[in-house]
Amino acid sequence: MTDLADRQKLSYIAAQAADARLNVELETEGMTLNIGPQHPATHGTLRIIVRLDGEQVVWAEPSAGYMHRGYEKLTEVRTFPQVTALVNRIDWLGSFANEVPFILAAEQLMDIEAPPRAQWIRTILFELSRIANVSLFLGDLGVQLGAVTPVFMAFRDREYVLNLIESATGGRFHPNFDRIGGLKDDLPAGWIAETKQVMKKLRNFCDEIENLLFGNEIFQSRLRGIGVIPADVAKQYGLSGANLRASGVDWDLRRDQKLPLAYDKVDWKVWTHPDGDSFARCWIRLQETREATHIVDQLLDGIPSGPIMAKVPRIIKVPEGEAWVSTENPLGEMGYYVVSKGDLGPFRVKIRSASFNNISIVPWVLRGVYVPDVISILASLYFILGDIDR
Amino acid sequence: MSDDSAVAELPGDALREGVVQALRDALGDALLDSVVVPQRDVWVRVRTDAWRQAGIVLRDTVGCDYFCFLSAIDWLPSPFGRGEDDPTAPAPERDTEIRQGVTGGDTRMQVFARVTNIAKHFGVTIKADVPDDEPVVDSWLPVYAGANWHERETHEMFGIGFAGHPDLRNMYRPTDFEGHPLRKDFPLLARLVKPWPGIVDVEPLPGDDSEDES
Amino acid sequence: MGLVDKGRLPKPLTTLFNMGRSYSLWVYQWGLACCAIEMGAAFGSPRYDVMRLGVIPLPASPRQADLVVISGTVTDKMAPSIKRLYEQMPEPKYVISMGSCANCGGPYWDSYSVTKGIDQIIPVDVYVPGCPPRPEALLEGVVLLQQRIKNEDMGARWRGEGTKAIVREPIVVGGGPVE
Repeated sequence: MTDLADRQKLSYIAAQAADARLNVELETEGMTLNIGPQHPATHGTLRIIVRLDGEQVVWAEPSAGYMHRGYEKLTEVRTFPQVTALVNRIDWLGSFANEVPFILAAEQLMDIEAPPRAQWIRTILFELSRIANVSLFLGDLGVQLGAVTPVFMAFRDREYVLNLIESATGGRFHPNFDRIGGLKDDLPAGWIAETKQVMKKLRNFCDEIENLLFGNEIFQSRLRGIGVIPADVAKQYGLSGANLRASGVDWDLRRDQKLPLAYDKVDWKVWTHPDGDSFARCWIRLQETREATHIVDQLLDGIPSGPIMAKVPRIIKVPEGEAWVSTENPLGEMGYYVVSKGDLGPFRVKIRSASFNNISIVPWVLRGVYVPDVISILASLYFILGDIDR
Repeated sequence: MSDDSAVAELPGDALREGVVQALRDALGDALLDSVVVPQRDVWVRVRTDAWRQAGIVLRDTVGCDYFCFLSAIDWLPSPFGRGEDDPTAPAPERDTEIRQGVTGGDTRMQVFARVTNIAKHFGVTIKADVPDDEPVVDSWLPVYAGANWHERETHEMFGIGFAGHPDLRNMYRPTDFEGHPLRKDFPLLARLVKPWPGIVDVEPLPGDDSEDES
Repeated sequence: MGLVDKGRLPKPLTTLFNMGRSYSLWVYQWGLACCAIEMGAAFGSPRYDVMRLGVIPLPASPRQADLVVISGTVTDKMAPSIKRLYEQMPEPKYVISMGSCANCGGPYWDSYSVTKGIDQIIPVDVYVPGCPPRPEALLEGVVLLQQRIKNEDMGARWRGEGTKAIVREPIVVGGGPVE
């Protein structure tokens, strides 16, 4: 642990020193640079205004809201099953993962639990959406740093996962498959064998990316030691997911809280990295993708038989109460604070999305960095616009 | 799984009762109410003037160094229901009584936040009333740096002010937008002008038990 | 190009021009939300490979583009940028509206911050319905647009009978009129 603290402290001091040098070394005229709202390598619209002193950033301010759709208000006028269809579209790359915490919160309020088979299939689909999400990140990472090939590989192998999700749920992108009390349907025949094949392909993809990108000297020098976030700052800002674990905080909601999901039935590892820099964040995501394929493999071997739906009333009325459920989504901690008044729909839903917190650190982390590092830091923080603005 | 033992050994009750006790020791009668659901969650409500102090206690004494979120709830029942009325028919009678949820309350709006203790794996939901006449509470910015954007969002959505926050600009909406969307008396106009077509009575399927009664 | 300006173009030349235009569509990707990923899959992935249709998905700026695909939710804050983008494009220009949100607001039909359909801001040539549409649906939209471009009277467009020539029944993928 001391090693970790020292390394973080050193890079932090270096960053601070760069900050201090900024105005002493070279007096230059300030310049304001506008990045966004649209960037070809992103799928969504975030605008960042940075003020430059020479090549260094003195001040940065993300301007969100170009994708604000008013989710929290819309949930108040929809019934519980309708909200499920809506929340798919928050983090659109890992759609199924968005449904799970909301459904779990509703189930907690109704005091029911999905049957074991449904829990296992939920966990499998959850991890599949993680793979679909993060594999695109790994490809997109290359594009943001100037390498075009990885994105083609990512799109190629992501299709296999999307095909799996489609054959199981009927939706390529937004499955809307989770129901209060279980799942809409059982798995189709032959799905398990096919999934195992695809997991092999995905592990292959991870190896390819690791060899192509992570071993690349240019890639390393663009990311190593850049955008260091110390652990205490990360926690203050509520960073979650790979961003937090890359700062050396061993915190994974899949392991660290009790939820009716099947994570405690399989053997897997939470990856952390002591450095807290951009490279660590990307590296953690790569390892997590590979870990997810192992989780899926193990879960496929042990799916229990039985029903996939608990006994729930036909018209779902959720009893009065408040519940908070969060899960470890591809981007980080995603949670729903559901307030019910015993009605058909929720009274208030506070959606805690991972990217909102992850990106709120941008003004802090961008201070003192060089212009080209702005893009690589943003890429390594990994946000999805719908997840920021909701 | 090897790491699971750490979760299983958690003395859930004592842990969460300990949170309440720590807050009571530090704040005295400014801690208004608390609810502990064993092994699951803990809610506390503090007086408005103790909002920031409670944050400091949670961070330093209870060890919740991870900031999860901060937001608000408007407890007024919506005067528009779910916006599914026929616009031509006379407005139906609606319940207008304000009933606060877990841990009660005295005002229409409440701020609430959640912080997590990463080392011991538990979270605390903390609430405070927002005065009706002057909706301002202390900012949590000196306590948790991450509260910055959350308070901006809450200010925009509910019109709640945060004393001590330097920069409560709008985040989401265009500048010419009026009103605070998450207040319950903010109407969704699209729903008011057009009757919602999605309301259908669920018909029982053949051979279906009458489960609808529940 | 005096002939074109005067709107008097020999028929074989029009055919030739139209064929050239329809098979070298430079498309600007305006990805806004979920649909952007499906658009990326259609335009950037090896499986769907849009370049075989004669579509070049990589112009650096809207000023070089013939076609823009607006994919995803357009919010009121974003709408002015969309308008400005469209105005920057050189004539003749085409718009594909991809996904329910861009078509009509989609699942956010009652939201306070979403523009219910980009046809309120800019004219749309092809609607691709779906939430999000599959990449194949977007490709069909491109193919239908190419058919329309092939049958277009270029002269009319250049003469500035634009308003009449442009405002036509839009194509809806999977239904509606196809020329």
